[in-house]
Amino acid sequence: MKKKIGVYICHCGGNISDYVDVEKVRQAVENEGGVFLSKTTMFACADSNQKDMVSDIKEKQLDGVVVASCSPKLHLLTFRGVAERAGLNKYNYVHANIREQVSWAHSDNKTGATEKAIHIVKAAIAKVRNAESLEPVKVQSTKAVAVVGAGVAGMRAAIELAEAGAEVFLIEREFFVGGRVSQWDDLCITDETGKELITRLYDRVMQHKHVTLFTGAEIVENKGSVGNFEIKVKVTPRHFKLQCSGGELQKAIDVCPVEVPDEFNFNITKRKAIYHNYPSEYPQLPAIDMKTCTRCGKCEAVCNAVDFSQKTEYLNIKVGSILLATGFDPYEPPKGEFGYGEIDNVITLPQFKRVIHYNDKRLIWQGKEVKNIAYIYCVGSRQLNGDNKYCSRYCCTSTIHTAITAKNKYKGIHNFHFNRGIRTYGKAEVRYDESSRLGDVYLQSFEYDPPVVEARDGQTFVKIKDVLTANKELEVAADLVVLVTGMVPRKDNSIAGLLKVPKGRDKFFNEIHMKLRPVETVIDGVTIAGASQGPKNIMESMNSALSAATKSFSLIDSGELALEPTVAVVNKEACEWCGKCDEACPYSAFEKVEKDGKMIAKVIPSVCKGCGMCLPVCPSNALELIGLSDHDVESMIDVLIEKDTV
Amino acid sequence: MQQENRKLNFDVLVVGGGIAGGESALNLANLGYKVLLVEKELSIGGKMILLSKVFPTLDCAACITTPKVSEIARHPNITIFTGAEAKNITKKGEHQFEAVVLKKPRYVVVEDCTGCQLCEEACPVSVTDEYQYGLAGRKAAFIPFSIASPRAAAIDIENCILCGACERACPTNCIDFTQTEEEVLVKIKSVVVATGFNLFDPLKIPRYNYGKAKNIITSMQMERQLAPTRPYNTILRPGDGKMPDNIAYVLCTGSRDKSIGNPICSQICCMYSIKQAQLLMGALPMADVTIYYLHIRAFGKGFNEFYAQAQDMGVEFVKGKVGKITEKENGNLMLRYEDIEAGVVKEAEHDMVVLSVGVLPNMEISESFKTEKLALDPFNFVNQSDVLASPAKTSIEGVFVAGTASGPMDIPDSILSGGAASAETTSYLRRASL
Amino acid sequence: MAGGKVNNSPKILVFSTEKISDPAIDMAGLLKLHYPPTVYTIPVPCSSAIKPRWIMHALEQGFDGVFIAADGTDCPYGESCTTKTGEIVRETMEQLKEKGMDPARLKMAAICSVCSEPFVKHVKSFAEYLGKEKEVNAVE
Repeated sequence: MKKKIGVYICHCGGNISDYVDVEKVRQAVENEGGVFLSKTTMFACADSNQKDMVSDIKEKQLDGVVVASCSPKLHLLTFRGVAERAGLNKYNYVHANIREQVSWAHSDNKTGATEKAIHIVKAAIAKVRNAESLEPVKVQSTKAVAVVGAGVAGMRAAIELAEAGAEVFLIEREFFVGGRVSQWDDLCITDETGKELITRLYDRVMQHKHVTLFTGAEIVENKGSVGNFEIKVKVTPRHFKLQCSGGELQKAIDVCPVEVPDEFNFNITKRKAIYHNYPSEYPQLPAIDMKTCTRCGKCEAVCNAVDFSQKTEYLNIKVGSILLATGFDPYEPPKGEFGYGEIDNVITLPQFKRVIHYNDKRLIWQGKEVKNIAYIYCVGSRQLNGDNKYCSRYCCTSTIHTAITAKNKYKGIHNFHFNRGIRTYGKAEVRYDESSRLGDVYLQSFEYDPPVVEARDGQTFVKIKDVLTANKELEVAADLVVLVTGMVPRKDNSIAGLLKVPKGRDKFFNEIHMKLRPVETVIDGVTIAGASQGPKNIMESMNSALSAATKSFSLIDSGELALEPTVAVVNKEACEWCGKCDEACPYSAFEKVEKDGKMIAKVIPSVCKGCGMCLPVCPSNALELIGLSDHDVESMIDVLIEKDTV
Repeated sequence: MQQENRKLNFDVLVVGGGIAGGESALNLANLGYKVLLVEKELSIGGKMILLSKVFPTLDCAACITTPKVSEIARHPNITIFTGAEAKNITKKGEHQFEAVVLKKPRYVVVEDCTGCQLCEEACPVSVTDEYQYGLAGRKAAFIPFSIASPRAAAIDIENCILCGACERACPTNCIDFTQTEEEVLVKIKSVVVATGFNLFDPLKIPRYNYGKAKNIITSMQMERQLAPTRPYNTILRPGDGKMPDNIAYVLCTGSRDKSIGNPICSQICCMYSIKQAQLLMGALPMADVTIYYLHIRAFGKGFNEFYAQAQDMGVEFVKGKVGKITEKENGNLMLRYEDIEAGVVKEAEHDMVVLSVGVLPNMEISESFKTEKLALDPFNFVNQSDVLASPAKTSIEGVFVAGTASGPMDIPDSILSGGAASAETTSYLRRASL
Repeated sequence: MAGGKVNNSPKILVFSTEKISDPAIDMAGLLKLHYPPTVYTIPVPCSSAIKPRWIMHALEQGFDGVFIAADGTDCPYGESCTTKTGEIVRETMEQLKEKGMDPARLKMAAICSVCSEPFVKHVKSFAEYLGKEKEVNAVE
């Protein structure tokens, strides 16, 4: 039982004290058993207060500390650190959340909020009174990282990790690397093309002896956790041997009778079952798409590099951290949205970029020359009725860039931008300015009054009530309508389910805290990068990839991890081995051992994750979780139910 | 402390102790590298530490900044010089840089100062407080602001009358008028430039009458009024101390404006204005807030939702370009603007106007590089030599850029950019050790 | 609730989970979604870790209701969580019935990490139910 507990109640500069009477809280708890000192503070997390706490703990020899402030997700570690610096074992610190769960949640009821804060602080005191010093469980960590997704973000992160000194497994689901950027020609900001950027990154990946690239590969199983993830990688064969002369390959492609829509070109062209992603085909080896291959054998007959005997392989790999860079999908409009899928000259922005790629001198779509292009912005983004409330960030800039490209490449192009307020943020503003100077026409509407696409008399019209000309109704006859589709999370995001990575309101992977821990997830050891976390342009993806690489690397760098010692413990007297705990445990953390002539359960601390699933299943109540014992919980309950003091 | 021309060795020199420089320094220090962090101001924490709350989560800025700042301040691998500038950075060879750091005297021995503020009370000189952006006064002996790091006094020697009152009041004798300017020669292997940005000075747009009309303030001044360490403890118009009830925001002040030499968008003003509008609705429930804008750039994660939330709360958004602001006799302001939706020029009266000032480059750092030039981009931000594949690289191998030194960006992006700079620095340093 | 009288509001103990539902409850505060201040939270690592005796203890000591903000299928510790938490609820309800207590005083719902609004809806309607029960009991 502790006798010298220090309690600090934070104003949070008004965030708490505007709704909770913090002085009243202090008075209500100062005479609780074991409380030696109680203070209020403007910012508990500020350096000056941390210093005060350290000297309090040292000078007054405090044996337990409670800070009542914001959510423990923000500052539990901060104050544990304070305890440690003062020489007090950090598990003698208990955090009370009186901001997110009190002052903010009950800003409508100051009396109620103050009363709740008092109860919560008392419960924290009850818990700390019973707290014990603990030492972390040390485990060896594997100095390797799995990077999932070999787009620009994944490749860049892999290079950085390898250069820092980690072993890297780069796992790409497709047969070719490069992700979305490989599908683009010249990129905004610089004159580099997608292919050139991918080439640069791919070369560095391949040169680095510490990066192993798997294509056609995905993680199908995961055991273990931070420091030691044991993943199973399924590698699908491309059914092509390494050596193949160019001529034979083309023959093999030519004879293949199967034609399917080419997803690399967003289905505007067809490809064979034997294919490569022209022009960004890395590795430079075709693959056979076994989902559509009819096994007719014609390719085998003309090209001896074809090899149908290759088998799917499963590899077991151990890594210390997993970095997810799985990217995004372009939004696919449902049939009928702005005429998509119904009117044949309505296409998406990604399709339009591929059309420009394939048309050299004149811009031709469906056999007709295109002069007037209407771009409809925010398709699938900023939806009023749909789920995608967010802005996709890159599309305004990308569209304007593409429109300028079309204008420079072909003669007589007229661009009409049907937008909802152009968002060319930062330096991209000059592109917007440039396009206006080139004579592009901008017409704007608001979310609730979008433009309308109509086909009549063999022509396609886009109609808008234009905000910029005092809501005049304007109509443009367009040869081509380009729907500026935003970014959505990957359709197949099964990796998130496998690793239990949470998603945000926008369904992209969610970080712990946008500013404090922007590339980490609540799953220890799993970091996120690039557009898998939310829409980003290339530079922003790179920054997030490099940050995620730094985080992943810092986890595994020392080769050892200190894990939370809050694991399950067995009461040896009460336990009569029945095996129920072992059945309930998702990590096989139990051993059956003999003790004093009977068989009992024993917890392996480095394997136990402290989830507590074993606790309720024990018929003799022989299991407790350190830091969450029956005594801890029940003494908190006893305090929380006490009568109001105010 | 007084020793002249010291020579010191570090792995990395980080110039600028704001949120981006701090992130880089921390990452590098955590990997075992020795870092020297040089900050021009008297406290680290940059502009963020002075903000109220941050979009789109409305976390208080101090709650995020102060613990980071304190982690930096006590990290065994980080040495901090505040009130100091890195001058004369020269590259001697790969992984070999030298810099002269100019440490201005604080006239206070930081280690001995307890931050008791008795010197402040004793000092007879009052001047304008730059950390409150001119909204309040401070003494010539002063602690920069309550959550400053280090939280120690400093003497503003320009305004000090050398009366000695502070020395007599100080209980720990930490005031030392014998301190002199010091030049420290440091040898480093790599440099991170995180020198941040400057705010646009609206005096450059005379038709807005900033500086003349008393109830026109900048967004940074409003930020201070909304911050927990705010000067007035409520929102007041500076002209007469009246609580405003009809506030206007003028977006793109000093951004997207070729006439003042800044054609680009500052990326943050729309969002911070929307945030301030939401906070004002909370602080002054009866007040009306109108935002005059050209385009609302709510592009980041959760931003558009935050914009929608402001619309739902009743913030008025007017698509219009403000031409002129004039002051009425009662201190109210007349805004003449082009209402784009209606297609006509209109006038509106507000009792307070906030100019949402933009982000300008801080060019000073480029002058510090002597042998090799640190190239700037067309907008005078630090040029990113490989912006697509290595955004932190600059024209000098071994010098990396973090945060808004390379262009406008918001806090999450600055932090990611700080992370990227530390990653590039790590691999550069590793090449040195191989 | 605006009057500030809170004593009549039923007291509810919420078992939240550190990684999934507690962040959602935090976010409810962030978004200023109000709910009765007599709702208290004890975070646990996983909703499958809640011992029936804790629930019984809370209800016997005077809590009007216990709400389990379960991990559901989002549980970071494994898919079996939903079934396991369900089993805890079933067992506790049986104990309640045996003791002649209303099993509806225990409620469970899966609360994902961004389910702030559902959380507030759940606790509000639960508080309403418990409030009515309280009145009925008081009259009896």
